[in-house]
Amino acid sequence: MKLCVACGMPMEKPSDYPLGDESKDYCVHCARADGSMQSYEERAAAMANFIVMTQGLDGRAALAAARARMSRLPAWKGRP
Amino acid sequence: MSIESTIITKSTTPQSRSAQKLETRRRILAAARRVFAREGILATSTAAVAAEAGVSHGSVFAHFGTQEGLIAAVIEDFGEALSLHLHESTERGAGTREVLKSHLDAIRESEGFYARLAVETPLLPSEARLSLVLIQSDIAFHLSPAIEADAKAGSVKAMPLPLLFNTWVGLLHYYLANRELFAPDASLLESRGEELLDHFMSLISTGGKR
Ligand SMILES: [Zn+2]
Repeated sequence: MKLCVACGMPMEKPSDYPLGDESKDYCVHCARADGSMQSYEERAAAMANFIVMTQGLDGRAALAAARARMSRLPAWKGRP
Repeated sequence: MSIESTIITKSTTPQSRSAQKLETRRRILAAARRVFAREGILATSTAAVAAEAGVSHGSVFAHFGTQEGLIAAVIEDFGEALSLHLHESTERGAGTREVLKSHLDAIRESEGFYARLAVETPLLPSEARLSLVLIQSDIAFHLSPAIEADAKAGSVKAMPLPLLFNTWVGLLHYYLANRELFAPDASLLESRGEELLDHFMSLISTGGKR
């Protein structure tokens, strides 16, 4: 089982991959509409937004949590 | 878990040395989770963790640096296991109740540790505090599509997702934080989990479909 390099989600089915392309290392949620991988800022904003929508956190706290997760993922290693 | 039964080989090839290092790391993490469950997270010294794991104090430092580093690593390790458990036990298209049941099952494996985490999170260093947000985020990832589908089908009331989710977590954490009062000699989730789940479902259900 592959883990998305950009968000950590386990990827198992073709529908987990961008445009169903299983050769990709990032998941459908981390892809733009054209299948390319989102930028660091795009991904951080999307992850923070999910946290706000589901847990109701303040936006800045949610963004800090998103960045904390991203700092541990292969796609974003070495980011400040 | 079969961590204790893993055989550590004595050969010194680089590969076996790194496997041995990984095994020591795993042993320390598992030991820390046990001591944290018994004594509390912040109240536990790295020396106590070393003793529990049967390794030298220096070894704990070599692997995790400070107490803060160890705490962060233990929570991260727990979060990964919980997330994987949820992912494996939750079928796509699962209903709200099934996802919440998986949530309880995933916590139950480390109930003592999770209860400490629920109580101590506001006191922990910021990295560890954010880890709990991320653990909840993984649960929400499975829960939100289930709730959306059930709300659309009319079996669950339409209400703001954060309030619904935090009501569930609040209920769960209150009981876990006081587990000695609710279930002194047993697993709280084993003895009361079903009751909490039933109650929460009755709160959010429309009553139309039962
Ligand atoms: Zn992803």
